[in-house]
Amino acid sequence: MFAPYQMNNIIITGHSNLLDAVINELHMLKILHIVEHSKNELADIGKPLESANKLSEILVRVRALATALNIKKEEIKFELKSGIDIESAAKKLNEEVSKNLEELRKIEETIAKNEALSRELEILKDINVPLEAFSSYKTIVHFAGYVKTKEITSALIQEISKATKKFMLFDSSTKKRCFLLLFADAKKKDVISNILENAGFSQVSFPNISNLNGNASSNLRKLEDETIKLQQRRAEAKKRLERIGRENKDFLISSEEFLTEQLEKAEAPLKFAATPSSFLVKGWVPNDELKNSIESLTKATHNKIFIHFEPAKKHDKVPVKLKNPIYAKPFEFFIDLYSMPAYREIDPTFFIFLTFPIFFGIMLGDVGYGALSLLFFWLLKKKMPKARNFSNILILASFVTILFGLLFGEFFGYEFIRPIVSREHEMFKLLFISIAIGIVHVNIGLIVGFINEFRSHGFMHALYAKGSWIVLQIGIALLALSYFGTVSTPPLVGAAFLGLSILMLFKGEGVKGLIELPSILTNIMSYARLMAIGLSSVILAVIINEQSAEFFHKGGFFVLIGVFILVFGHAINIMLGLLGSFLHSLRLHYVEFFSKFFHGGAQKYKPFGLKN
Amino acid sequence: MAEISTGLIAIGSGLAIGLSAIAAAMAESTIGAAAVGAMAEKEELFGKGLILTVIPETIVIFGLVVAILILNLAKGG
Repeated sequence: MFAPYQMNNIIITGHSNLLDAVINELHMLKILHIVEHSKNELADIGKPLESANKLSEILVRVRALATALNIKKEEIKFELKSGIDIESAAKKLNEEVSKNLEELRKIEETIAKNEALSRELEILKDINVPLEAFSSYKTIVHFAGYVKTKEITSALIQEISKATKKFMLFDSSTKKRCFLLLFADAKKKDVISNILENAGFSQVSFPNISNLNGNASSNLRKLEDETIKLQQRRAEAKKRLERIGRENKDFLISSEEFLTEQLEKAEAPLKFAATPSSFLVKGWVPNDELKNSIESLTKATHNKIFIHFEPAKKHDKVPVKLKNPIYAKPFEFFIDLYSMPAYREIDPTFFIFLTFPIFFGIMLGDVGYGALSLLFFWLLKKKMPKARNFSNILILASFVTILFGLLFGEFFGYEFIRPIVSREHEMFKLLFISIAIGIVHVNIGLIVGFINEFRSHGFMHALYAKGSWIVLQIGIALLALSYFGTVSTPPLVGAAFLGLSILMLFKGEGVKGLIELPSILTNIMSYARLMAIGLSSVILAVIINEQSAEFFHKGGFFVLIGVFILVFGHAINIMLGLLGSFLHSLRLHYVEFFSKFFHGGAQKYKPFGLKN
Repeated sequence: MAEISTGLIAIGSGLAIGLSAIAAAMAESTIGAAAVGAMAEKEELFGKGLILTVIPETIVIFGLVVAILILNLAKGG
């Protein structure tokens, strides 16, 4: 419960031609946590199996196909037919897909081009001039662009006619501005462009229409017909790709899985030590699996390999596989999130299992809220089996919340039964309870720390480093109690305890320990949040209830508003409550509790062949 | 009509929690940003990041305790 699985250091070595068999067997057993070999003067790292190159090539192709067909990875029940040639199947599929993708790309390109063209034609559609006229002439220039209002046009005509008689002006106006198209004598180009500039003329260019004949509106109609056809073709191509994706989804996902597995095997020798004709694997195997795995390895290689094993030594960096009873197992999630405890450290999972739900329950502490969160996480567990651990933790925490809700007599903020402790009215009582819980929790942490230190550095060090904190607390308590006159011991006794603890701490942890001195008080005070978070949640709930009650009394339409406030308010309060209670409960463990004993930093036991 | 002294006590206790909350927020914003940055590089740092981020929160708890003590002063006096 408090210690991880016992591990054995294992060394497997044999002739290179047994490499394949050993890798296959290890991959199937899924028990060996491989320790990667790094190159040294005795042995290089191994070379990947011959198939690795080819496998990774096919894998890249399969993954590219999955991306192109928009296939998401998911759990499927699909067996690859034995003997199926993934390579040629993927190649064939790739040809089909890229043909369709190429077509789709071309269609989309044309559509984009047509869109640009139709924007130009849209401007010109009300002007009945053949589009050939836009090509450049020696004697005629043309200006196309916008002026702000139609009124400017007549003034412009007058001014231009002063400069030349040879000109033609077309206009079409929209709500915002007026489009002008002016053909004029090329000799007067500068004069006219001056006039136009003074009238606030902004030029528009038509780069796409140069190859067209006839007037704009007929071209536009033609273009629209064409676009509709293109869009149909685009939809067809997309549908074809979708169909291909649907039909090959299972194949792609399962072959991706298969290939990844094969590639992992093929690249495994990179972690091994190798000489030209032999290989050596180092790693860790849990005690209970040792016998079986050695047997099957020798069997698979016809007793031609050498296996050496020994239990973990004191300073080995042993990978950790946590061992906890089934009910505490979900709480390993929190350890995972933080850091794996070292191999010889106490595994705190069980403590978290005991206290996390209690802290959560005290903070949320409402029958209604607890029931809702129970329902929510029960549904989440059904919907998302992957987050099972997380849901299980919160389901348990919700149960405890309901229990504390009964203790506090709260149902959505209403006191529905006589509370044993009222969170709303007995703040101080609850504050003291919280602090008391803090003292107990922190001291449990110190005791665990004592055991850890005792195991790794002996009794005296444990006494100096961890016991000193307990003596310090006794000193402070005695001082405080004699100050208030609760106990009759003279303050000197308390001071003596205090001094003793400081000396012990200095011996145990040096100057760092002295700097940390006040932390024991802040740590314990920190448990006041058990009361504080709960209080804020209650007060908010009460306010929501009072506000909605006011609307209910007004009757009629106001009842609806009251219902809205009630539902919306409590929904928000539950969300805040869940988040707050979860994080703060977690924080009390990570910061206040773990800092008393936890070192962590071990690697997680990850056997070769096991999927994440 | 409440007396002025009651109002002053209310303001005092409001300041106690409000100012400490602002202080904690300022401290946490800097730490939180750095922690998220570190997490983006290395996901395993979540636990450490969370711890470092919530360390200043204790200030608010102290603020709250002081606020409640001040309010209690009002009841007693």
